[in-house]
Amino acid sequence: MARLQRLNRFWVWVGFLLAVIAFGLVGAFQVFTRGLAVTGLRDGVPWGLWITLDLSCIGLSAGAFSLSAVTYLLGRESYKPLARIAVFIGLLGYSGALMALLLDIGRPDRFWHAWVFWNPHSMLWEVTMCITLYFSVLLLEVFPMVMELPQLARFTRLRGIAHRVHRFAPVLAVIGLGLSLLHQSSLGGTYGVVIGRAALFRATMPLLFIVSAVAAGMAFTIHMTLLVQWVGRRTLVPNTVLFEVGQLIGAVLLVYLYMRFWDATAGGYGYVPGRTEADSVLMEGPFAVSFWGWEMILGGLIAAILLIRARFRQSVLLLTVGSGLTLAGLVANRWHTTLLAFTQPLSTSPALTDPLVTPYTPAWTEWATALGVVAGLTLVFSFGVRYLPAFAGTKVEQTPAVPQVAPGPEAGLASQAK
Amino acid sequence: MSDYTRELTRREFIRLAIGLGIGLAAADRVWQWFRVHNDPLAQAAHAETSGPYWGMVIDLEKCIGCRRCVYACQAVNDTRTGHEWNILIEDQDTFAKPVFVTRPCMHCEHAPCVDVCPVGATYHRPDGLVAMDYDRCIGCRYCMVACPYGVRVFNWEERTDENPQVPTWGMPEVERRPRGVVEKCTFCIHRLDAAAERGLRPGYDRAATPACCVICPTEARRFGDLRDPESPAARALKGRQAVVLRSELGTNPRVFYLLPE
Repeated sequence: MARLQRLNRFWVWVGFLLAVIAFGLVGAFQVFTRGLAVTGLRDGVPWGLWITLDLSCIGLSAGAFSLSAVTYLLGRESYKPLARIAVFIGLLGYSGALMALLLDIGRPDRFWHAWVFWNPHSMLWEVTMCITLYFSVLLLEVFPMVMELPQLARFTRLRGIAHRVHRFAPVLAVIGLGLSLLHQSSLGGTYGVVIGRAALFRATMPLLFIVSAVAAGMAFTIHMTLLVQWVGRRTLVPNTVLFEVGQLIGAVLLVYLYMRFWDATAGGYGYVPGRTEADSVLMEGPFAVSFWGWEMILGGLIAAILLIRARFRQSVLLLTVGSGLTLAGLVANRWHTTLLAFTQPLSTSPALTDPLVTPYTPAWTEWATALGVVAGLTLVFSFGVRYLPAFAGTKVEQTPAVPQVAPGPEAGLASQAK
Repeated sequence: MSDYTRELTRREFIRLAIGLGIGLAAADRVWQWFRVHNDPLAQAAHAETSGPYWGMVIDLEKCIGCRRCVYACQAVNDTRTGHEWNILIEDQDTFAKPVFVTRPCMHCEHAPCVDVCPVGATYHRPDGLVAMDYDRCIGCRYCMVACPYGVRVFNWEERTDENPQVPTWGMPEVERRPRGVVEKCTFCIHRLDAAAERGLRPGYDRAATPACCVICPTEARRFGDLRDPESPAARALKGRQAVVLRSELGTNPRVFYLLPE
C-alpha cells in the first residue's frame, strides 16, 4: 500500500515536470519561429536570463570534475558514491547549458561553426570547444552507470565496453580536470577580457569564476544528494563524507570571499572611470540585494559558517541549508555580473547609444524556456536516481520528517559494494 | 643704489611683458601638443596594413546635426529603424552650446569585436577595415558585448519592415541581412570595392565614397586615404586637433573627430 502511494507521488511529480516542459516548448516554439524579437533582450542588453542559466548550469556542474579529482586522483575511495552523483548531475548540467546556448544564439542551425571555423583568440571559442569535449567525457563517465540497468543486461557487448570505460575513470578524471579548469575559468575570462565595459574588465574574473564554481558545484552535489536521500528515504553517501565535503566547501567559500575582498579593495582603488560607477551600482543600486544579500552574506559568509559548523554539530539540516545557500549565491553572482555589465552605460564614452541605464526584464518566452530546461533536467535526474542501480543506496527504515543524522558511513559504503 | 631695489623702467616692463607673453604662448603650444593625443597621420603611417589607410574625419565644428548621414546610411545599407548603423548623439560643450556627435563603426585597428568572435565571422580585411561574414555568424552576440562603442546591432527577427528613408535619401545598395546575425557599419565597402574595379578613387569620387560622407551638406564628414596627404580626409585634418573616442582603450579607431575651435 505504501509502495503504491509512493509510486503515485512520483508520477504526480513527473506530470508536473511534463507540464512545465510543455510550457517551455511553447516558448521555444515562439523563439525558433519568430526569432529573438520575442525575448526581452535588446541591442543594449544582448545577454540576459539565458546566459545566467547557462553560466549557472556550468558552475553548478563543477562538482563533477572536482569530486572526480578527489576520488580518483587523490584516491579517496569513500567519495566514489558522491562522485558518481556529481558526474550524473554534471552531464545534466552541461546538457542544460547546451540547450540554453542553442536557444540564445541567433542561428542555432550554425551551432557547429565553432568547431569548423576556429578563432583561438576568442574566450567563447575556447569555452565552446571545452564544454563540448567535456560533455563527451561526462557521457563516457555516465555510460557505465546506465549500462548497470538490469533492463540492459542482454547487451553483453555494450556492458563489456562500459566495464572497460569504467576502468579508465582516473584517466577521464584527469582529462575532465584539465578541460574544466580551462573552461570554468575562461567563462569568467569571457567577461574579464571585455575592455570596453569597466564593470567586467578585471583580471580576477577567471579566478573568481572557478573558485565560486568549485564551491557551488560541490554544494549542489551535496544538496541534491541530501534531497534524494530525504525524498527516497535511503542513504546514498555516508554522512562522514558529506560533512567532510561540506567543510571543504566552507573553506573554499572563505577563499572566495577573501579574493573578492581584495579584488574590490585593490581593484577599485581611487576613481576608475566606469568601474567606480559600476561598483556603486552593484553595492548600492538595484543589484545590492543580489550582491550583498545572496552572494556575500547568505551565499558566502553564512553558508561558509553553516557548512563548517555542520560537521562539528553533525547536523544534516545545517548541511542542507548551507549548501542550498551556496548554490543560490552562485546563481545570484552570475545574474548580477551579467546584468550589471549590460544595463549600465558602456563607460563615460560620448558614443553611447543609450546613455541611461538600459532596462531589462526577461520576457515570458525566456522564463518559459529556462524553466522548461530546468524541468527537463529535473525529470531526467528524477528518473536517474529512481532507476539507476548506482543510486539505489540503502533503505532507511524510519521515515524522518526533516533531514536528520543518517546512518553511519558503513551503510553507505555497503551499498556500493558490488 | 642696489640693482634689486630700483623700480622697473618702462622699457624693462614692456620687455618682461612681451617675454612672459611669448613664454606663455610657447607653453600653451607645448601643452596643446600633449593634449592632442591622437595624430591620425602618424597612426596611418605606422599601421601594419599596406595600401590605403581608410579614415573618416568628422568635424564637430561643422556638424549641424541635420541627420542626413543617418538617413542616407539607413537608405543605402537598408537598416532597420531603431537599429541604425550610424547614429546622432546630441551633446553640449561646457558653455551649453550644442555639439553633434555622429557615430559610425570605428573600424578599430585593435578591434575587440574581432578578437572575441568565436567563429571568426567578424574580421579585418587586408585593408584593415572590420567586416562581417553574415554566412558564418552564429548570432552569439559576444561582439556586441565586446564593442566599446555600441555600434553593433542584431537582427532580432526576419525583416518585413519598410525602409522610411527610401527613396528620399537613397536606394538600398546591399541585401538585407538574415534573421539571427549581427551587423554594423561597413564604411560602405561595397562602394570602395566597386570603385577599385571602375578606377574611381574613394574620397574623391562620390560613387566610391561612403554614403554618409557624400550626403553631408556642410562637408563635416570626410573620407579618404590618410596616407595620401591630398585626400579630403587628410586635408581636413590640417591644423586641427583630432580626437578618437575612448582613446584610453588603445583600440586605434579610424574615425577621427575634429574638436570645435
